[in-house]
Amino acid sequence: MRYKSWFALFVVFALVFAACGDSTDETTPDDGGTDVTAVPGTVTTIDIWIAFADGPRLTYTEERAAEFNSAHSDYNVAVTAFDSYNTVFEQAQLALEGGNPPEIIHFFEAATQEALDTVDADGNPIFKSVTEAIGGRTEILGEPVILDDVVSAARNYYTVDGEFYSMPWNTSSAIMFVNQDILDAAGVAEIPKTWADVDAACEKIMAIADAPKGCITWPNHSWFVEQTLGQEGELLANNDNGRDGRATEVYLDSDGMVAYFEWWKSLDDLGYYIYTGVQRDWDGTNTAFQAQEVGMLIYSSSDTTVITETGTENGFNVVAAPMPYNGDVPYEGNLIGGATLWLRNGLDTVTEDGALAFMNFFSNPANAAEWHKITGYIPITEAAVQLLKDEGFYDESPNSLVASDQLAAAADTPAARGALLGNFVAIRDVITAAAEDMLVNDIDPKQRLTEANAEAQQLLDEYNSLFGG
Amino acid sequence: MSALLALLAGAGAGAYGFRTARRLRPARRYLVGALLGTLGAVVVSVLTGGCAYSPEVDAAQHILGIAVAGGIGLAVASGTSVVLASAKGGRDAGSIGSDIRTGTYRLGWWWPWALLLPTIVILVVFLYVPAVQTFTLSTKLVRLGAPRQIEVCLANFSELLTPNPWILVILPLIAVGVMWGLGLWKRRASLGSMSLTAATALQPFGIVVLLLALYYMFNGGPRGYRGIYVNTLVVSAGTVAGGMILGLAVAYLAFQKVRGMTVYRTLLIWPYAVSPPVAGILFFMMFDPTAGIIQHLFELVGVTFPNYREDVFLARFAVIAASTWKILGYNVLFYLAGLQNVPGDQIEASVLDGASAWQRFRYVVTPSLAPITFFLLITNLTYAFFEVYGTIDYLTRGAPAGKTSVAIYEIIRVGVENRDIGRGAAQSVLLFLAVIGLTVWQFKQSESRITYGGGG
Repeated sequence: MRYKSWFALFVVFALVFAACGDSTDETTPDDGGTDVTAVPGTVTTIDIWIAFADGPRLTYTEERAAEFNSAHSDYNVAVTAFDSYNTVFEQAQLALEGGNPPEIIHFFEAATQEALDTVDADGNPIFKSVTEAIGGRTEILGEPVILDDVVSAARNYYTVDGEFYSMPWNTSSAIMFVNQDILDAAGVAEIPKTWADVDAACEKIMAIADAPKGCITWPNHSWFVEQTLGQEGELLANNDNGRDGRATEVYLDSDGMVAYFEWWKSLDDLGYYIYTGVQRDWDGTNTAFQAQEVGMLIYSSSDTTVITETGTENGFNVVAAPMPYNGDVPYEGNLIGGATLWLRNGLDTVTEDGALAFMNFFSNPANAAEWHKITGYIPITEAAVQLLKDEGFYDESPNSLVASDQLAAAADTPAARGALLGNFVAIRDVITAAAEDMLVNDIDPKQRLTEANAEAQQLLDEYNSLFGG
Repeated sequence: MSALLALLAGAGAGAYGFRTARRLRPARRYLVGALLGTLGAVVVSVLTGGCAYSPEVDAAQHILGIAVAGGIGLAVASGTSVVLASAKGGRDAGSIGSDIRTGTYRLGWWWPWALLLPTIVILVVFLYVPAVQTFTLSTKLVRLGAPRQIEVCLANFSELLTPNPWILVILPLIAVGVMWGLGLWKRRASLGSMSLTAATALQPFGIVVLLLALYYMFNGGPRGYRGIYVNTLVVSAGTVAGGMILGLAVAYLAFQKVRGMTVYRTLLIWPYAVSPPVAGILFFMMFDPTAGIIQHLFELVGVTFPNYREDVFLARFAVIAASTWKILGYNVLFYLAGLQNVPGDQIEASVLDGASAWQRFRYVVTPSLAPITFFLLITNLTYAFFEVYGTIDYLTRGAPAGKTSVAIYEIIRVGVENRDIGRGAAQSVLLFLAVIGLTVWQFKQSESRITYGGGG
């Protein structure tokens, strides 16, 4: 009898635990202490929420925070990690609505417009421009200000109405990685530069005796679509991609867009392109490349270091090259991707200065160079570029230079700067859904993009009716 | 015009909902019901400013507005009828409490309320207030952090439905008519006649008609709900059927007296301790086209297993398999408990009568498990509707092309990921109505078929 009741108790506990296990969010960041005033001897906490939960990037951030904390004993920078940009964006908005929001938030580029537009319960903007907060100072709490030294590609993207709102951190571009061994085996002498080159190389690769499963892959992520529009000089939205006033119209069915989708579909129809079947599938595409199931991978430069090293471990040579472009139209330029650090509005001076000092310390030349080496995100300041060149880093790691060169070659035009849009995250979903539909269900690109355009237009209209004017 | 129709719908539904209030004479009963229903419809219309009946909105919203008025009328009238009946201690008071309705508290009338207070507070704060907010939000265009909200009336709902107003009016009438007609036929048919057999056999046809009607009422376009509806039906039906049939089969096997049976039984329950996302990750890795064990096993025999994330059938199968596996332990647990209560004398009698193992299982074991099966049906349906989010998020993320995106997944995708709170709330309301409908239907179905032992 006693055993039975113990067993029943155990079962009850097991059920309770199983039920508790369903809650998805375990991250409950603690109070940021936003109302701390300058009392000597007290420690001001600065919470920073970042979208990197993986090993090296989180470790890097935590190490820099620890260094900063030991140099500034009256500050405590506390890092909280989330597993994606979307999650950090969601959680930050919920916290701003009625929680304990962090002082510094890591937002991705697609959220720029929404970050600028969002207001708190009293109708005040939730973020403060870092340019305004720095107010022309050249150093804060002894940390030199690096904002003026930021490389032009990032500067161009994040400058809205002539003002730099957020502090750049991780900035990348889309580049191509090739398995040089497969290209050599197929007799492809030169790494493909245009779409036609890719077609020709794929024909050769698929013709070799022990051919890989496919020729090329990239994640079905709207970012690659946007990169292509930049290359083609095609706008995604009106008012110069939303940079000369709020964007009110989207052009998802433009000629450049249709051309790209048609090329993509033709690669898929021929069996050259491998679709992993999952949208925004960074892991699956990377795995296919590392398993040598494809010869070429279009990817973010953010993983240059790890892709190159893993390839070597798997016994093949990885060479990085610029992202292939549409050879039928003039090349305009690739855009950036990545995220910046946003400063929360309404902080007291002590906290705000601490946050600004950390942001500038975080991307000082030595740190920015180190960040570039372990990831592949571009060195964010000219000083960091110079430091890396002086060290001779690029002689050993030529792959790491590709993204910076590609961005430096881009024209400073609205198309190549990239679009600023409201509801961009949802519009990106519309684009990836259209691409998936086209690939999986064999739907005509032009027709599907026309549908997608109507859907995206509705999303933009709704956004503008809530935020605009 | 449509405002008038809405009032009529409220009145009619109210009269129908109040028809069981036995204390009043029929004529008065219907009159009171109609008044209550109309009152409900009027209050809601005034609160919403009658937005659904304005000439600016499309026909679908008018129809929805009328349907809402009818629904409110029905709810108000039948609610009042139930409350009246239980307050007066009538026969409708519910079978559990009806024997002990004469108890009093010596400390005063407030004492039971004081005891109930903690529960009531929790229910109000965590259940009723959010529920009301969901209904309010579903009529708005809302985003977190936006400086304003925009009232859209029923547009969040009507865009999920077909724009053709005739389909919206006629199909529900046909479905209800067919179900009602079949029910009437069954009740009127005399016992043991061919007519009764036919009527009983045709009962499921009513459900099929209802499901088909809903299919055509939802819009098939990118913003419509038809795709989600089909996905939800397939995945839920697969998960519930698979989980319960397998659960019973496994429990029956584990119930046999074999060496080490306690170990088996304990091990069988383990998958339930795994959370849904983990189930998703496990199956994701097993079925992975590049690195998965399934792919490897198929390659050993020289077959290339297709990428499940690109194949609609396989993707749904993987989601169903993972969800079934995860809930299996729970079902096994309850079926094992149920099997221990199967009366041994009945089994013995059936053995003496020469029943085969299958006949014993079919005619003795299964019927005595009916209460447990009913309980599991409800918990499994709740699971299939609400808890598969994590599994799908890690297994397919709704791929390919949204074909595994079920109702709950879509709610979170729209409402949380895209921050489109109003549309998410509207879909939540839809899921809420679906679950209410299913539960009512299940209780009606099971009343006649389940015996809990004893006097039954």
